[in-house]
Amino acid sequence: MTSAIDHEDRFRRVYADHFEALLAYAIRRVDRPEDASDIVAETFLVAWRRVREIPPDTEAKLWLYGVARRVLANHHRGDQRRDRLGDRLRQRLTGGPAVDPGTEVPDRLVVRAALARLGELDREVLTLTVWDGLEPREVATVLGVNAAAVRTRLSRARGRLRELIGDERASSGHVLDVLTRLIPEEGR
Amino acid sequence: MTDEQLDHLIRDADPYRAIGLGHLDGARQSLLEEIMSEPPQPRFALRHRLARRSAVVVAAAAVLVALLPMAFVAGGRGWHEENGSNVATVEETAATPGPIDAAAAKEAAEKMPRLLVREDGWTIVHVYGFRDGDGSGDISFQKGTLLLDMNWYRAESYDSYYQDRLQVSAPEAGGIVGWTGKVFTYSDNDFAIMLTPRDDVFVELRLQGAGVTRAVFDEILTHVEQVDVDTWLAAMPADVITPDRISAKADELLADIPLPPGFDKSDLDGAGTNDAYQFGAAVTGLVGCEWIAEWTRADRAGDDAARKRAAEALTSSHQWKVLNDMNAEGDWPEVFWELADKVADGDVPSTYKDWIGCK
Repeated sequence: MTSAIDHEDRFRRVYADHFEALLAYAIRRVDRPEDASDIVAETFLVAWRRVREIPPDTEAKLWLYGVARRVLANHHRGDQRRDRLGDRLRQRLTGGPAVDPGTEVPDRLVVRAALARLGELDREVLTLTVWDGLEPREVATVLGVNAAAVRTRLSRARGRLRELIGDERASSGHVLDVLTRLIPEEGR
Repeated sequence: MTDEQLDHLIRDADPYRAIGLGHLDGARQSLLEEIMSEPPQPRFALRHRLARRSAVVVAAAAVLVALLPMAFVAGGRGWHEENGSNVATVEETAATPGPIDAAAAKEAAEKMPRLLVREDGWTIVHVYGFRDGDGSGDISFQKGTLLLDMNWYRAESYDSYYQDRLQVSAPEAGGIVGWTGKVFTYSDNDFAIMLTPRDDVFVELRLQGAGVTRAVFDEILTHVEQVDVDTWLAAMPADVITPDRISAKADELLADIPLPPGFDKSDLDGAGTNDAYQFGAAVTGLVGCEWIAEWTRADRAGDDAARKRAAEALTSSHQWKVLNDMNAEGDWPEVFWELADKVADGDVPSTYKDWIGCK
């Protein structure tokens, strides 16, 4: 009997601990921020339905990322929304101060365009590392590959991105001055 | 450009950085509640009976109502032990006084296909739901260490569940006699099959236990048969409160319980088919809800005497036999008593309806 309560409490803790990370993960990978609500809702619904299968401690986060990745794949395949879950979250993401226009400087658009041109696995290795802050071992778990392969791909992806940013910059005539300005600001 | 500089650029292009979470307000909690108000895994399917809210105690109530069930192992009988002497017919069910028209009740019941395991050694250890027209319910069969759970869901949710199960494993063909479905593999000794929707419902069967293999699962499925409602009801152990037993069992449970003004036990007529724990929760939940409503009414009206009567009735729940009998099986009584004591002390939680499933 108590195991049922444990599961219920466990899910609440998992949700509390990882909601923000999952929302961030989703927002980074959908075209419109409000679509992230579908990804988050679906991911946690899967987690709820399989609460007994969620691994312990930090592995739970990686397990959720794995679920979210599959949910996202369905989303990108154009699956219909299956549930009406998360409407309030969707409204918030739609109606809130979504993106500060001031943050959408061309430099960022250039980088995003370059990222979009990477192969899917390279892009995921890079963004899971830099945006989501995962270690190579953790990236490997989420993507279902080994950690050595992640390190190799990470190096390759960075090299490829450098080239692409150079191409984008050349084609747009834009200078990525944000780089030289921001590094000192972060005390590096 | 060093790796560090490149990573800085990437980080700066993070779409998430520009979106704060401060404006989400209650959307985060709202989503949690929405998700947890759905039945999770089959073993927990009963939890949808009570909506969950943030209070842990509420979760405890819902879970514990849902999960009690194993008490039937000792007293339950397998379907094969029934020979019709205690058969509850649909006609009897329909004759029970209540708001539902007899013909409509029979039609609704017949629309929900029923399943039994037609093999010696299986015992029904838990049953809940199967209310007329409800389209949901669950029943568990046990044989040694094997546990076979069957959960009924409305057909409209089939696609959602199917998509979910695709993430468990690749589906494989399977079925019971005359009813095909898809088999999903949770682990080497944990298999489930989703039967395709039929008559507005679909059924998911899941087998777990020592020594379970796909071959064992398939073999057991050959013994699962669809039966008519009469046969299904006749297979229920004597301790299960089938519709024809509701009135008498309610009288028994209510014998030492003070009843709220205007209490009508026929409100229990639509309770479906439940094991003793679930039925005890239904009875005490109804009584508790009405006493709390009476306490609230009296409090608003300034009727001190009525409020005192309601408080005393709620406090007396610590002595109700049914709750004390249930206490060994789960925590429903504990949750009920906590709520009863709060109300008796003048504190009616704003979410009290969720605690014990008040309408």
